Amino acid sequence: MNDGPLIVQSDKTLLLEVDHERASECRKAIAPFAELERSPEHVHTYRLTPLGLWNARAAGHDAEQVVDALMEFSRYAVPHALLVDVAETMARYGRLRLDKHPLHGLVLTTTDRPVLEEVLRAKKVAGMIGERLDPDTVAVHASERGNLKQALLKIGWPAEDYAGYVDGEAHPIALETADWQLRPYQEEAAESFWHGGSGVVVLPCGAGKTLVGAAAMSRAQATTLILVTNTVSARQWKDELVRRTTLTEDEIGEYSGTVKEVRPVTIATYQVLTTRRKGVYPHLELLDARDWGLIVYDEVHLLPAPIFRMTANLQARRRIGLTATLVREDGREGDVFSLIGPKRYDAPWKDIESQGWIAPADCVEVRVSLPDAERLAYATAEPEDRYRLAACTAQKTRVVKELVAQHPAAPTLVIGQFIDQLDELAASLDAPVIKGETSVKERQRLFEAFRSGEERLLVVSKVANFSIDLPSAEVAIQVSGSFGSRQEEAQRLGRLLRPKTDGRTARFYTVVSRDTVDAEFAANRQRFLAEQGYAYRIVDAEDLPRLEQ
Amino acid sequence: MSTEPPSSAGRTLADRLRSWPPERLARLMGERTDLGTPVPADSGQLASRAATRTSLLRALDLLTSAELLVLDALVVLGETSEDDLVATINADPAATRAAAHRLEDLALVWEAPQGLRPLTAVVELVASGAAGPGSGLLPVSVPRTPPADVEAALAGLSPEADRVVRVVDAHGGRGTTQGAGTGGPTDEDGPVAEALRAGVLRVAARERASGTVELPGEYGLALRGGRTTTSPVDVVPALDLGEREQRLVDRTASGAAAESVRLVEAVLEAWGTDPPSVLRSGGLAVRDLRATARDLGTDETVTALLLEVAGSAGLLAQGADRGGDAAWLPTPAYDAWTARTTAQRWSELAAAWLRSSRVPGLVGSRDSAGKAWNALVPELSSSLAVETRRAALAELAAQDEGAVLVEVETLVARVGWLRPRRPRLREDLVRWTLAEATTLGLCALGGIAGPARALLTDGPDAAARALDPLVPPPVEQVLVQADLTAVAPGPLTAEVARDLGLVADVESSGGGGVYRFTPASVRRGLDAGWSRDEVHDFLARVSATGVPQPLSYLVDDVARTHGRVRAGRASAFLRADDEATLGELLALSRTASLGLRRIAPTVLVTDVEIDELVLTLRDLGASPVVEAHDGTVRVVRPDRQRARVPRTRPAGQAGSPGAGAAPGETDAVAERERWEAAAQAVRAGDAAAAQRPAGVAPLSPSGSLAALREALEAGVSVHISYVDSHGASTQRHVRPRKVEGGTLTAWDHRVAAPRTFAVHRITAVARSREDAAPSGS
Repeated sequence: MNDGPLIVQSDKTLLLEVDHERASECRKAIAPFAELERSPEHVHTYRLTPLGLWNARAAGHDAEQVVDALMEFSRYAVPHALLVDVAETMARYGRLRLDKHPLHGLVLTTTDRPVLEEVLRAKKVAGMIGERLDPDTVAVHASERGNLKQALLKIGWPAEDYAGYVDGEAHPIALETADWQLRPYQEEAAESFWHGGSGVVVLPCGAGKTLVGAAAMSRAQATTLILVTNTVSARQWKDELVRRTTLTEDEIGEYSGTVKEVRPVTIATYQVLTTRRKGVYPHLELLDARDWGLIVYDEVHLLPAPIFRMTANLQARRRIGLTATLVREDGREGDVFSLIGPKRYDAPWKDIESQGWIAPADCVEVRVSLPDAERLAYATAEPEDRYRLAACTAQKTRVVKELVAQHPAAPTLVIGQFIDQLDELAASLDAPVIKGETSVKERQRLFEAFRSGEERLLVVSKVANFSIDLPSAEVAIQVSGSFGSRQEEAQRLGRLLRPKTDGRTARFYTVVSRDTVDAEFAANRQRFLAEQGYAYRIVDAEDLPRLEQ
Repeated sequence: MSTEPPSSAGRTLADRLRSWPPERLARLMGERTDLGTPVPADSGQLASRAATRTSLLRALDLLTSAELLVLDALVVLGETSEDDLVATINADPAATRAAAHRLEDLALVWEAPQGLRPLTAVVELVASGAAGPGSGLLPVSVPRTPPADVEAALAGLSPEADRVVRVVDAHGGRGTTQGAGTGGPTDEDGPVAEALRAGVLRVAARERASGTVELPGEYGLALRGGRTTTSPVDVVPALDLGEREQRLVDRTASGAAAESVRLVEAVLEAWGTDPPSVLRSGGLAVRDLRATARDLGTDETVTALLLEVAGSAGLLAQGADRGGDAAWLPTPAYDAWTARTTAQRWSELAAAWLRSSRVPGLVGSRDSAGKAWNALVPELSSSLAVETRRAALAELAAQDEGAVLVEVETLVARVGWLRPRRPRLREDLVRWTLAEATTLGLCALGGIAGPARALLTDGPDAAARALDPLVPPPVEQVLVQADLTAVAPGPLTAEVARDLGLVADVESSGGGGVYRFTPASVRRGLDAGWSRDEVHDFLARVSATGVPQPLSYLVDDVARTHGRVRAGRASAFLRADDEATLGELLALSRTASLGLRRIAPTVLVTDVEIDELVLTLRDLGASPVVEAHDGTVRVVRPDRQRARVPRTRPAGQAGSPGAGAAPGETDAVAERERWEAAAQAVRAGDAAAAQRPAGVAPLSPSGSLAALREALEAGVSVHISYVDSHGASTQRHVRPRKVEGGTLTAWDHRVAAPRTFAVHRITAVARSREDAAPSGS
């Protein structure tokens, strides 16, 4: 028996005991091929998946390294079947490759003829393949490069893409590092991406993904298309690029619902690209408007399905995906892998946090009891109304006021789902509210005021969930959310995880109605937090006054 | 006879056996076990038993290829001296002699006056091909053609005739030719006729009609250069071996061993609560096998193996489920098994597998009739299984430590050489043996592990001792985390695993375990009778890291809502708006036998039937009103008996025209009640018949009194044997309500009315069985 920190389960989960002296060594060894599933306080859970193993292959690791790492760190004997499975799965990657051919454009070649035979017989692949050039080579229609990769992944024979990229229209871009520097992990992430050609960089919220994007652009030295989730986020990208690079405001265009500029660096929203009129996507031509040398996908885990389809046609351009998590609630991780590229860089939150790049957070769940009258109303309500009833109890307003009072100086966000509730809260807290109908201009003004310290308190709806940098927020109070989405929780926590100047701990409160569906949703979200290693506390609303003592 | 020197020849096998020293006889019976059971009376009986066909077929299974070919040569040659035999076999002389001696040891061959001679029955088996692959030569003619004549005859054949002869030789010494023997349309100048004339071929005596010709053994031998085979017979196929660290082999195997123990425990634990049913053919349904495999997270092959091994080890057997249907259930031996250490448990499984004739490898494939083999069917066994398994493992165990098999097929070939008979099943058995041994942790990476070596040489206890240091020791504590999971950093002790499995869901298993607490899982624990504090205590005890606050909250939250609504069973209820009325009833000593319980200030419930309740209350002067199911008051009046109007229309049609709806309904109600009463009487009769105590000893009146009082106290029903005033003895099923003044007042279930009985006429009292069992509600 080894005294290793790792327990390899027969169901392909890996349990890593974090307090073990060799834990960090082990983590480094398994991180390239195992996906971190949960990282609570004592034992982290990793999972071996085909995608993870193929990611490792794409990064140049082979099965032997994987097996060695498992055997070396495993406390108990590693199930033999699992080792065999790892070797077999990894061997599936790279049997097929896409190459450029001087005559036929794009070709699919194989090192293992039966695999090619199997693939050619697959229904999914039919129609993407041209003539057979020799026993090991078939021509591929250039337009099917992405679709073919997607289809091959689905049938379990992922192809390596060596067909290369077009350089795109050259455009000088450099980082302006007079008063700042890339952090080591950002440098590493950009380097791994560039080396790999295309792929996804996974970094926690607040770890500076925008800068990784900027660094990638400075390497590409070409015109760049940046796809972001919404307009506010687009403006932030623009500000950040102007500040951190040699790019001037005139070189950066915004392509959104209101403005449609195409410039050497263009920032477009998902929404405008996926707008559909009479069955066609009128803004799709943007993708061909210039000879882009690099495409940046912000928040890859939110990439809408139509964008995937468009991306399938962009396989000749370099693509970098930025995200906090590879987990997609719609389960389309495979599409990210085949269309944007394998994971190129990954660092767990806790590591970056312990290095001081993001602020630690303290999560507290505050439970309120519904008064009897509301309980009865809740019990007899239609199922679809229950969540609203439970989430919007007047009790929460009282608790929020108390919490706000407890942090008199701290910049505080109050986050919720229901507009009525937010309006009511804003009124009783005497704070401005940002919701869907707030104009972009007004939103920006308020966010700016919050950042500068002019406004201490903001009440925001879910429009603030994504990509809005509010680095000064120290306290967030969540009163309702959209039915326990793990995604949302990560984003909300992300609002608070930007590094604080004085190293203070951020507070994340969730106010929850006891014994209702609200508490159930909250449990879902908390599970995500706990799995990310943020142990949370539960307090009763009645005990709040004592909380700070 | 004992004075006879051992090497001298005897007239019969029995004679030879009489001259054998006892050790040799013991060895014979040790190898051919069927000869020694039951112990034969004398050598004559032993010899005759040894010559039976079935026994011989079993003995032939024990032979290697070389031995089989030596036997074949003896059949070809007839009675032969050992030297002649050596000259005829294409092998190292020492190997031939060793083989001959072994044949003799096995009593397949004995030393007759002119040399070695196979038993007549053996000759038949070999000649008919039942013995397995031989040289394909026919016996030499008697008397044998002198070698010089043979050479001359062969040399004199024309090339066409020579070709025909060689073809015949290549086809087992026989060939069919139209009219070869009958002088029909055969070409007199043809090669067959020529060979026949030369005496190289002869017409098969028994198959004259079909025109079969034979090549006598001596000619065949001559064609093959004087030996029965052209290639050497004593070349044992070599194994393709590689090198591995033995430590690695042991470690990997021990992992598999622990895993197989865990899986067996998991499946039996699950089947203990939810057993799959037994097919009519005696096996396990494919659907159940598939579901079990899915639950275990493994495939059907592994699952079938584990089930078969559990069955062989006596941990799993057919039993009856709660509904009384045949089901697969863990045995009491399973409970004893779970109490042992992992190493001991494994050694039991491994030993059971080693001695089991079951063939789990067949599960999922189809038999010759096209029917799929189910796991656990009785027919799923083979007499070759044990021996092949041992032979294959022995080959591996014979290698040095660290030598591992690289190519499985070389082992298949080697075992195939060692045991050439019934090759197809044998080959599969070897492959299965290796796969199964790897699953069970006897082998790993193609090498045999230390514990398995110990098992083969020194038995299960030694194997358990050898495995013990290799398997992780069981842990009693888990790491409980804020995401409501508990991680066991190793295999849990059976007790902790069971308890944890009750209050948490298993999320991942293997070397360690991941358990998740959910509201449902905690509720399951509470449903199983745990209290909130017990759950807390348990968590505090098993957690090595303290109980995270969210988990405590979860337990409290669930416990708070658990049991808020309560359900129970009662036959009748009493309710009154006035609490005092009910309190008064409850206080009366005469209502004690009704077993009234207060479940709310204004509600009493009882287990007695409503009729009994109402009558008793009337006796007491209370005047209850009976409520129907819908809460309306039902008026009860004494049944007036009437004859039934003959039914004129079939049942199921609407009420008769012209008749008012209301009377029709009342009739229907009365009708229904009457049949319900009848049914109850029938059921009571059934119960009495079924529960009538057999041979209850007659009781003295004082004994009866004691028994009746006891029943009264307990509020249970009893069967009494009662002799009525006419002297007729009857059995009654009654619930005593009062015993005083030499009479018993009791509720008679059969007539559904209270009756009185004279105690001195009661000859026996026995508790009815349904009441004797502790009541669950």
